[in-house]
Amino acid sequence: MKEINKQVLKDAAKRLLFDMSEEEYDTLLKEFDVITKQMDLIGQIEGIDDHEPMTFPFPCETAYLREDIPAKPLSKEDALKNAKNKTAGQIKLPKVVG
Amino acid sequence: MQFLDLTIRELHNELVKKTVTPLDLVKEAILRAKADNNNAFEYIMEKEAVEMALKLKEPEVDNLFWGIPFAIKDNFSTKDIVTTASSNILAGYVPVFDATVVKKLLDAKAIPIAKTTLDELAMGGSGTTGHLGTTFNPYDKQHEHLIGGSSCGSASSVAASVVPFALGSDTGDSVRKPASYAGLVGFKPTWGRISRLGLFPFATSLDHVGYFTRSVYDAAHLLNLLAGRDVEDATSSDIPVDDYAKLLNTDIKGVKIAIIKEIVDSIYDKSINAAFQKTIASLKIRGAKVEYVSIDRKLLGALFPTYVVISCAEATSNNANLDGIKFGPYQAGKTYEEVMSKARTKGFSELIKRRFVIGSFCLMRENQDVLFLRAQKVRRMIVDKVNDIFKDYDAIFLPASPTPAPKLGEASDRLSDEYLIADNHMVIGNFGGFPSITLPLGFKGKLPFGGNLTAKPFNEAKLLQIANVIEDITGFYNLSVRTAKL
Repeated sequence: MKEINKQVLKDAAKRLLFDMSEEEYDTLLKEFDVITKQMDLIGQIEGIDDHEPMTFPFPCETAYLREDIPAKPLSKEDALKNAKNKTAGQIKLPKVVG
Repeated sequence: MQFLDLTIRELHNELVKKTVTPLDLVKEAILRAKADNNNAFEYIMEKEAVEMALKLKEPEVDNLFWGIPFAIKDNFSTKDIVTTASSNILAGYVPVFDATVVKKLLDAKAIPIAKTTLDELAMGGSGTTGHLGTTFNPYDKQHEHLIGGSSCGSASSVAASVVPFALGSDTGDSVRKPASYAGLVGFKPTWGRISRLGLFPFATSLDHVGYFTRSVYDAAHLLNLLAGRDVEDATSSDIPVDDYAKLLNTDIKGVKIAIIKEIVDSIYDKSINAAFQKTIASLKIRGAKVEYVSIDRKLLGALFPTYVVISCAEATSNNANLDGIKFGPYQAGKTYEEVMSKARTKGFSELIKRRFVIGSFCLMRENQDVLFLRAQKVRRMIVDKVNDIFKDYDAIFLPASPTPAPKLGEASDRLSDEYLIADNHMVIGNFGGFPSITLPLGFKGKLPFGGNLTAKPFNEAKLLQIANVIEDITGFYNLSVRTAKL
């Protein structure tokens, strides 16, 4: 397991596109003392690697084709309804290229 | 007693007899919601609810939900009604469609009167982390004890008889734990039994729609209405839906119930243990076979960390769309990364950020095998073990929580069995997608506490039948702060 220090936590936050204050990172680092001990409990279980990871509670297959029924998609008005920064019927963001 | 102190079924009878109208009920509910001092509501839908009630004239005898007021946890999409999941990152967000469960209730002419508070983005279990602050337990007028979360506002509003039922969501025990602390029936059916379209995702492999009622009969009827395949939700099941209410009876002769010894052994509260044992004795008298079974203590000790790893990891990707661009408060910046980063830094509370960082840490390349994949393996070991129990038993019965509602700010030893096992065992229901229901078992002083029943997937009929018998044994039918004899 990767060593936990403030820089690792800052790196994780950066990947998630947010930042925290120095005090908040300190609190989190302290929280990791307990979390790490709790996570160690997972590693203590015997035979753990003989099992397949479980990603959903039980197999749930949807194997059929839907009827091809025409339906109205989301209108442009509705799609833009909650965007605060928009122009000419589109969401406006800072320039990405050039 | 006033009308809203009644259950759904009783209210329906009054509506059919025309002793009360939907408008009367809506007005009474709005009045109670406005007088609420437990911080249960994000938004009271007064205008919308009155408009709906005015349209309902002739009662529908065969439709139990006609004209019945209800509340909706604020992480369900409601068309044209502001929905924030109690987070500033969604301030002012107005969905453009109704969640399938909301649509089903509207089609049945039930009337939503409010959106309720929750722990921010449903990622908490205390009812203290929403952007409007702490939601309180109606059983505690001094506001010293929590109500639990994350479906805190929904639990509070049903316990205070503002509404006879409310929608919630349950990823770890977010319906069933507050139900225990608020003396309610809190039910989450099998994963896939109810469509999740329109429920804001937290951890997709664990999220369930659930709800609070004040009787098992009402819970069964609500499942009749809400269960079923939804082509818009690929994880919803097409297994046929039973008539759960019709199948309810009080005969449990020959029913086999398992008690997990190690979980009961981790509970030290004398009132809870006494009420639990008394209920077991009564179940035996009525013909049920109740036996103790064992699960390795180490496996149970890993329940909570397994939940933390899986839920936080899934949450990081599920909430990646919260960027202040398509919805939520926009923050200006020089690049789109800066726009998103500013919105997320400002919009998420510290607690949510910490959870996301934990999730991100577990997903780091160096940690994936030892943390994330191993947690998923432990999840399978636990679910396999519980499925083994269901080969011989119809249900598992346990106290829902190790104590009644704890005091606000009360610290517990996070490495003790009481915390890791007794306080978090209901997450088993989410790991395996098992149908699971909490219902009142007793009181310690003025505070209620509950018991929890869990069955194998899609065996809701049997689960509700046993719950119905326990309700009959305890006599806690239609319990609320207004009806409880304290």
